[in-house]
Amino acid sequence: MKKRSLVLLLLLIGLFLLSSCATGPAFKKIETIPENMGLVYIYRPGKAMGAAVSYQVKANGVPIIRLNPGGYYAYLAKPGEIEFSAKTESSSSITIDVKPGETYYLKGTIGIGFFVGRPHLVVVTPEVGENEIVKCKLLEEKK
Amino acid sequence: MLRKKGVWYILGRLLSLGFCIFFILLCGCATTMKINPQVTQMENINFQIKGEIICEGNKEYLPRVLVEESEPNSKLIFKYVYNAIYGKHDVPDLVALYNPFTIVGFPTGENTVTIIGKLDVLKGEEVVKSYIATCVLEKTRSLFSEGTFTEMRRKGLIAVRNNLEVQIYLDRGYLEKLLVPE
Repeated sequence: MKKRSLVLLLLLIGLFLLSSCATGPAFKKIETIPENMGLVYIYRPGKAMGAAVSYQVKANGVPIIRLNPGGYYAYLAKPGEIEFSAKTESSSSITIDVKPGETYYLKGTIGIGFFVGRPHLVVVTPEVGENEIVKCKLLEEKK
Repeated sequence: MLRKKGVWYILGRLLSLGFCIFFILLCGCATTMKINPQVTQMENINFQIKGEIICEGNKEYLPRVLVEESEPNSKLIFKYVYNAIYGKHDVPDLVALYNPFTIVGFPTGENTVTIIGKLDVLKGEEVVKSYIATCVLEKTRSLFSEGTFTEMRRKGLIAVRNNLEVQIYLDRGYLEKLLVPE
C-alpha cells in the first residue's frame, strides 16, 4: 500500500514538473530583423532544479512573456534602453541598450529562495546564447 | 560553579556566531567598485568645452563637461560610446540548498558588471585624442539581497562619466589649444 502511494506521489510530481515545461515548436532563428528594431531572445534552459517555477518577464514594466523552463521568446524591441525584469519572491532586472539590427540573448535562470525559487536574468554572449537556445521551444504568448 | 561556567561558555559561542552572521550579512550587502584609470574625484568641475556630440546611448551618461555646439561647422567632434558587460557566477544549486549557512546570508552567487566608456575627440576626420575609463562592479548574492543588474549598471556608467570628466579637465589646456584657429 505504502509503495503504491509513493509511486503515485512520484508520478504526480513528474506530471507537475512536465506541465510547466515549454511544449511549442523547436527554436527557429529569425533571419531578418525589421528595420529600426533590435531583437532580444529571451530564453530559459530546461533544468530540473526550480522547474516547477515560472515567472513573467516584463520590458519597461510591460509584461511580455511567462518564462517556463526550456522555453524561448523572440522579442522585437525599439532602439534605446530597455529594462527587463522578473519577479517571484524577489526581483531581478537588467538593462539592455538596444541598437537597431542587433541581436541580444537574455538568459533566465532560477536560484534558491526562502519559499520559492528566485529569478535571475542575465545577458549572455551570442556564442553562449546560440548554443543554449537551440534546445529550447517557442513559448506561447500568454501573459 | 560548573553550571555557571557552562552558561558563559554557551553565551560566548553564541556571541561569536552572531558576529560571524553579522559579518557574512555585511559582506553580502556590499557592492565593490574598481575604476581605471584612478583619478582624484572632483566635485563641481568648472570647465566646459564645445563641439559636435555623437552619442548613441543615454545622454545622461555623457561627460557633462561636453557641450553641444549650435554652430553647424564645429571645430571638434566628440564621439562617445559605452558598453556594459554582464557576468553571473553561481554557487552550485545543491551546495547552496544544503549549506546550512545559506539561511543566514551565506553567498549564493555573484553578479558582475563591467562598464567601458570611450570618448574620441576628432578634428575633422582625424582622432586627435581618446579617453577611456573602465569600471568593474561586483556584488555577492544571498537570500537577503536581490539580483538586479540595472542599479549596478547605472552606478558604473555614472562612475565612468565622472572619471572621464576629470580626465578631460586635467587635459583642458590641450583641448583648448585645439579650438584655436591655425
